[in-house]
Amino acid sequence: MSVREWFALIAFASSVLFGSAGLVGMFRFPDPYSRMQAGGLCGTTAVFSAFIGALILAPNAAIAARVVVIMVFFLVSAPTGSYIVARFTWQSGTPVWKPLAKTKRLSRKKEPT
Amino acid sequence: MTSLLLHYMQWFLIICAVVCIIRLLVGPTAADRLVALNILSGVALAFLVVRGVAQERVLYLDVALVYDIFGFLGFLAIARFLKDKISDGEEM
Repeated sequence: MSVREWFALIAFASSVLFGSAGLVGMFRFPDPYSRMQAGGLCGTTAVFSAFIGALILAPNAAIAARVVVIMVFFLVSAPTGSYIVARFTWQSGTPVWKPLAKTKRLSRKKEPT
Repeated sequence: MTSLLLHYMQWFLIICAVVCIIRLLVGPTAADRLVALNILSGVALAFLVVRGVAQERVLYLDVALVYDIFGFLGFLAIARFLKDKISDGEEM
């Protein structure tokens, strides 16, 4: 295992970690907004660390240069896409999720009933 | 070892894409579908790049770049089309 493969292993491991966390979040969260956050986590962080791993393992300069160009453009397009979805959802007035009364037992302070 | 890493990474990205497709089909509101679509294009891009590096074919990376550019434009068009439909939420 050369040093390059260790760094690539770290990058891919973080990509798998963030990806699975994002996927679980996308199904567990009750509200489009929180799903959006989990989705952004999975769709941007996991993909970007996969790019870093691919960049480290790139066999020659031609491939490495192209991966860098793709990384730059991906950093522009992915967050913008997430922002647009959030903006359209907010402008169209999707209601924000609020915990029901009975789940308030977790909060320490006494709720005025 | 390198090909092993890239091989498993491709399988993981395929699983991510399948789960995103499930989210796309299930998603109650149009906002969830847009989120799933956004992630799906990112995951597909990552799969193309990882496969391009694994098989050392430079063509895949060019395809990935063009895919990202047009995917982003397509996503803008879809988001704008769905802009008014997101509010009612019960149907796509």
